[in-house]
Amino acid sequence: MELQLKGSVIVLTLNSTNNGVTSGWEEGKYYSEEAEVDRRDPGRDYELYKYTCQELQRLMAEIQDLKSRGGKDAAVEIEDRRIQSCVHFMILKKLNRLAHIRLKKGRDQTHEAKQKVDAYHLQLQNLLYEVMHLQKEITKCLEFKSKHEEIDLVSLEEFYKEAPPDISKAEVTMGDPHQQTLARLDWELEQRKRLAEKYRECLSNKEKILKEIEVKKEYLSSLQPRLNSIMQASLPVQEYLFMPFDQAHKQYETARHLPPPLYVLFVQTTAYGQACAHMKSSQPPRQDKTLSVAIEGSVDEAKALFKPPEDSQDDESDSDAEEEQTTKRRRPTLGVQLDDKRKEMLKRHPLSVMLDLKCKDDSVLHLTFYYLMNLNIMTVKAKVTTATELITPISAGDLLSPDSVLSCLYPGDHGKKTPNPANQYQFDKVGILTLRDYVLDLGHPYLWVQKLGGLHFPKEQPQHTVIADHSLSASHMETTMKLLKTRVQSRLALHKQFASLEHGIVPVTSDCQYLFPAKVVSRLVKWVSIAHEDYTELHFTKDIVEAGLAGDTNLYYMALVERGTESDACSSPSSGKGCHSQDVKYRTLLPLCSPCTHLGGIESCDSSQLSWHLIGQGFLLEPPRCCLWCCHPAPALAAKLQAAVVLNPGYSSIPPVFQLCLNWKGEKTNNNDDNIRAMESEVNVCYKELCGPRPSHQLLTNQLQRLCVLLDVYLETESHDDSVEGPKEFPQEKMCLRLFRGPSRMKPFKYNHPQGFFSHR
Amino acid sequence: MVTFQAHDGPVYSMVSTDRHLLSAGDGEVKAWLWAEILKKGCKELWRRQPPYRTSLEVPEINALLLVPKENSLILAGGDCQLHTMDLETGTFTRALWGHTDYIHCLALRERSPEVLSGGEDGAVRLWDLRTAKEVQTIEVYKHEECSRPHNGRWIGCLATDSDWMVCGGGPALTLWHLRSSTPTTIFPMRAPQKHVTFYQDLILSAGQGRCVNQWQLSGELKAQVPGSSPGLLSLSLNQQPAAPECKVLTAAGNSCRVDVFTNLGYRAFSLSF
Repeated sequence: MELQLKGSVIVLTLNSTNNGVTSGWEEGKYYSEEAEVDRRDPGRDYELYKYTCQELQRLMAEIQDLKSRGGKDAAVEIEDRRIQSCVHFMILKKLNRLAHIRLKKGRDQTHEAKQKVDAYHLQLQNLLYEVMHLQKEITKCLEFKSKHEEIDLVSLEEFYKEAPPDISKAEVTMGDPHQQTLARLDWELEQRKRLAEKYRECLSNKEKILKEIEVKKEYLSSLQPRLNSIMQASLPVQEYLFMPFDQAHKQYETARHLPPPLYVLFVQTTAYGQACAHMKSSQPPRQDKTLSVAIEGSVDEAKALFKPPEDSQDDESDSDAEEEQTTKRRRPTLGVQLDDKRKEMLKRHPLSVMLDLKCKDDSVLHLTFYYLMNLNIMTVKAKVTTATELITPISAGDLLSPDSVLSCLYPGDHGKKTPNPANQYQFDKVGILTLRDYVLDLGHPYLWVQKLGGLHFPKEQPQHTVIADHSLSASHMETTMKLLKTRVQSRLALHKQFASLEHGIVPVTSDCQYLFPAKVVSRLVKWVSIAHEDYTELHFTKDIVEAGLAGDTNLYYMALVERGTESDACSSPSSGKGCHSQDVKYRTLLPLCSPCTHLGGIESCDSSQLSWHLIGQGFLLEPPRCCLWCCHPAPALAAKLQAAVVLNPGYSSIPPVFQLCLNWKGEKTNNNDDNIRAMESEVNVCYKELCGPRPSHQLLTNQLQRLCVLLDVYLETESHDDSVEGPKEFPQEKMCLRLFRGPSRMKPFKYNHPQGFFSHR
Repeated sequence: MVTFQAHDGPVYSMVSTDRHLLSAGDGEVKAWLWAEILKKGCKELWRRQPPYRTSLEVPEINALLLVPKENSLILAGGDCQLHTMDLETGTFTRALWGHTDYIHCLALRERSPEVLSGGEDGAVRLWDLRTAKEVQTIEVYKHEECSRPHNGRWIGCLATDSDWMVCGGGPALTLWHLRSSTPTTIFPMRAPQKHVTFYQDLILSAGQGRCVNQWQLSGELKAQVPGSSPGLLSLSLNQQPAAPECKVLTAAGNSCRVDVFTNLGYRAFSLSF
């Protein structure tokens, strides 16, 4: 291979010399094909390449020709030709290398040129950016706005007219808008400085005036105590002359702050009180006043209500803020918020009117009238004080309680429902079911209270606006006042009566004594108040409940009348004289042939029995009988008469209703015993006989006493069971014309006074 | 409805003739014309008072009884006597006396002119109207079978049918055979009965308690039909042969209602006053 390579180089050199080209072979001692490339012409190399290829083709064709002919000398010839073709191959190789070198060189040159172009491009880009930035800056500058443009300046004509020439400088500024603007700004500054000066002056002026006012006020307030002392000094004079101008004046002053309904009430009650005093006045007026009016409560709070609404709004927002805080702190439930709303709705006016009504026995009814601002209704609280201290019986608990003392003053007016129909809508909003639950706190909204305050609520028009009306109040004043008085008096009378009823004593006044026989054996042993529910659950009160007479505004009592117990054997519980030994207990009636012969031997026989004898001899149908003490111990069955009493709040103009149940030999009520029915009618229907002297405060006690008498009659006239040995359980002591009468076998319940006998009604 | 005031006190008894309504209460019997009542007039036709012996208290008239055969009226009540009044002349013809206490009820025996009376004294007496004498006395409370001392001895109701008589009150409701004057059936009813009547082969009775009781003659309780009053005082059967379709029983007691039974089985309706 090395040989071949050396040979080709030689050939090439030869060829090159042959071609007449000066080679570096002789000049440089080294051989470098790269340098050779620069020296050689590519076109010539191309010609050489073409020639070599033709030569090779010719040689190949000759070899082929020789081979096909075949001959002895052919082999030499072929060898010769092969050598020639080898040389040509050498040349081709050389040419190929040269071509490669040339290509590489070309590439290098191209690369270099490209790098240069890139650098130039980058420079161009940078320059373009810079240009753009500068342009932006320029536009920014062009768009700049000065502060002075916002200032309102006086118009151009005004400026030239008013500004002094040293500021306006008309000759300079007329042409130059910039200078003109500067001048106008100068003028503006000048003007503003002047105004500020003026403001300061005004302030100092105001300060001065305020100080003056202060001084004058001090003077005025110093005047007030002096005036007061003068007034104080004049009081004795006024009193001496009976001219209570001062007090009245003060009240009227406060009355100005009353809400309209309370104002109407105040004016009307004052007027009524004065009228009453004048009517009675043989003495100087206002000395014996039965009716006094006063205003209570804080006037300042009332005034505060009429302050401008901003304050209240502030308050509200404050409270709102507080509420918000509280919500953050403890998250109140919806119920708490509702409670607040309810409280707001049921708010009372801070002022109230106190009315003191004095009765004849020096007991006083204190009425306090309130006005519920948001509901537009009036309420009243009542209290009764008496001249002497009262012992309160247990059963009288409700009689004078503020809750019920005025209940149903007019029929059906129980004061537990709001009289204003519009209120129901308001209640719905805050979830109040009825006013009933709040009545204890607020007082009762009786209808008559609304009328006294001049408020009239029509039933059918819920949204009617209600205005306080003087004439309405005046028309109801007198009757209401009278009703109030009678109510208090009857309640006080009941109160006293209950105290003795609880001790089993039925108080009968001397002017009612004629209604009853002298001797009444049955006794009241129990008097208790019972609840409405208990009353309705009693088995013998069904008729009353069904008739609708047992409303929950009534008061209910249970009386127990007894006869036939141990203590009853003696003629009265207080006197034990009749009994000498345990055996001597029971009395009996024995028919006697000759009247009064045995009386001398009888130990105790009271005057009523004696008188009975005398009358009996006169005209009685039955043979006269005499009372004897009997020594036989007989079984005594206590007869117990339960009486359920409905006491209408309007007592005593509306009578109490009694329902009876007798426990004696079985249970007897009006359902199974006509005589019990008759007894009920005696106390319930014939109550007019029992009223006593007006104003008939004795009715209830008389009815109870009557009941005792009726029980006596019932028991004593009961037909005697002949089959049982021994005396009658309840000997007949009452004088009766006949024991039974009519188909229903009525007993003689009617008492005839002067004669003292019992007959049928 | 026509209402008019007949007496000052309660009306204890009413009977009706063809033309008149007779009512009695306290001491007096009054007559009213039906024709005028129907015209809503209420003029009193006449009034009569039997001759009473006492003046202290006017005795009540508890029972009226018409005797059609002799056109007379028998009154009985508080003065323990039976008074006979001639309806033609309006005069009192006889007084039958023998009761020791007041008379509750009367009953007429249809065939013979005899009258039964029952009173507070516990006796049922049989009177012959022709001789005006007491024929027979049954002291009911003395018979142990029917005596109930705790209720008293009074006879409150009485009814008769030929030889039979039923009576009740303080003693138990009892069926008697008159000729032999023996109790045959005792009806087991505790409450005192105030009215009793024969109806076909039944006995209807009412008294204390809400029910009208229907008895077989043998003493079995056939039915008790409740009314609306807590206690019944009077039963009345309309048996006019002229109007068989108007056959109704009415019952009145101590309430404001009169119960009407068109069928004996149940109360049809009540008239409320």
